[in-house]
Amino acid sequence: MTEPMDFTELTCTNLMIKLKILLNKLPQGDAVAFFATREQVDNTCSPFSGQGYQVSWDQAADNRYLVRLGK
Amino acid sequence: MAVSTFLFCDLVPAERLRWVAETLRASARTGGVPLGTTVYLTGDALYSLVDARTRDFWRMLAERDGIRIVADGDELILHGLRGFVATGSPWVTVAGSQEDAPFWQSLVSSLVSGWKGTKKAGFLLCEGPYMSRATVYMVRFLSAVQGGGLSPELYTYLDGVHTLHNGQRPSEFENIGRAIAGISASAVQAGREPWFAACSRCATARGYYQMNPGTGFCEPASAIEEIAILPLKEILSRFSGNLPIISSASGNVVPDGRREDRVPPLVVFIAHPPYCTEWTFGGLSLALAAAMGGIPTTVIFIEDGVYALHGTHEVPANDKVFNVQEMVAVTTDVPGLEYFVHGPSLDDRGIDLSPGFVTIPRLRNEDLARVLWKAENDGAASRLIFF
Repeated sequence: MTEPMDFTELTCTNLMIKLKILLNKLPQGDAVAFFATREQVDNTCSPFSGQGYQVSWDQAADNRYLVRLGK
Repeated sequence: MAVSTFLFCDLVPAERLRWVAETLRASARTGGVPLGTTVYLTGDALYSLVDARTRDFWRMLAERDGIRIVADGDELILHGLRGFVATGSPWVTVAGSQEDAPFWQSLVSSLVSGWKGTKKAGFLLCEGPYMSRATVYMVRFLSAVQGGGLSPELYTYLDGVHTLHNGQRPSEFENIGRAIAGISASAVQAGREPWFAACSRCATARGYYQMNPGTGFCEPASAIEEIAILPLKEILSRFSGNLPIISSASGNVVPDGRREDRVPPLVVFIAHPPYCTEWTFGGLSLALAAAMGGIPTTVIFIEDGVYALHGTHEVPANDKVFNVQEMVAVTTDVPGLEYFVHGPSLDDRGIDLSPGFVTIPRLRNEDLARVLWKAENDGAASRLIFF
């Protein structure tokens, strides 16, 4: 199991790009896990659920969430 | 008729002047919008007025195409070019000479004559003190904005965020931090609303925005108070407004009868090679954030910027850098964002597009004219920024 990536310091735009790149390479049925801030979860991660991806998250610390994005 | 105002502070390569000249000529041939264009030159851009590789392009643009060329008189003296330009280039207006208004006031007047009724004007600063004199030009521009009765706005991005470092104490140069504080104070005193901001991503990368482990949020560190650290999307929300915004290589095109209900479109020229500086990543990030913020945005890979689309880029496992090709490939579907590549720039270098990018439209200079003046034909003002 690989350690979740830390994307908390990416801008929302750059996180969106990073996630699209990762999802492009992701086999069907797999998921990526990463840490994000509340703002990133709301603005960037959640909208992926409207595009057919599975999105879930758990709070890991103050303003730090472990997000799972599945294809 | 439109009012077009360009500013160049850096070296202007012959290649740029060639495509600008051909694009303007193509625009006139195809019944494009007639242009009332003024080009302001300061700093290293002044060398293009005497350089044998470029001076005839300027002369032709001035004499044949009616473009007004204005040179910064003070900087001509500094660069030792005043005599050459005064005697050898009668088609250049030397601002700051006895007959004409000072250069920066003239630039602000030209911008305001297009953006009628504007109450503010902004500068996008991507270069840092004291490595780049662009910061001095930024101070002069914002001082002229403030002196002209407008509210000054500063958007610092990439190395431009170094402007916010506190305790600047240059022994031989103008103190940029202190100058910013001075402009801010005098603007407030005059009842205006200065708005100075730094991109939070760029500020974090350079150590000016640090995580407070106690709160889990970032806070400014070693930063002057006059510049707020904000997300890029918040800074770009200012670009939706009706105000002139310039940078060290930029243009504003404002049609007569500009429709204020239109968000001014943005044209981003990616003109640097992709990896050894932050220009390409910075330009693409800004373009994407602008498009996602509702600003119609066009990205044109041009000059050395075409290398971003040549070959197949792979980031080695031990490196940490955004692969710009992957960045472009996954964002072609972003609403309000268009990518183009300048064909003559590819041809001049003897290179072609990577097979993954053959769908990116290739522009000849006459196509470029159509793309650049598209917004104007819709009654919208547009801003052009070179990265």
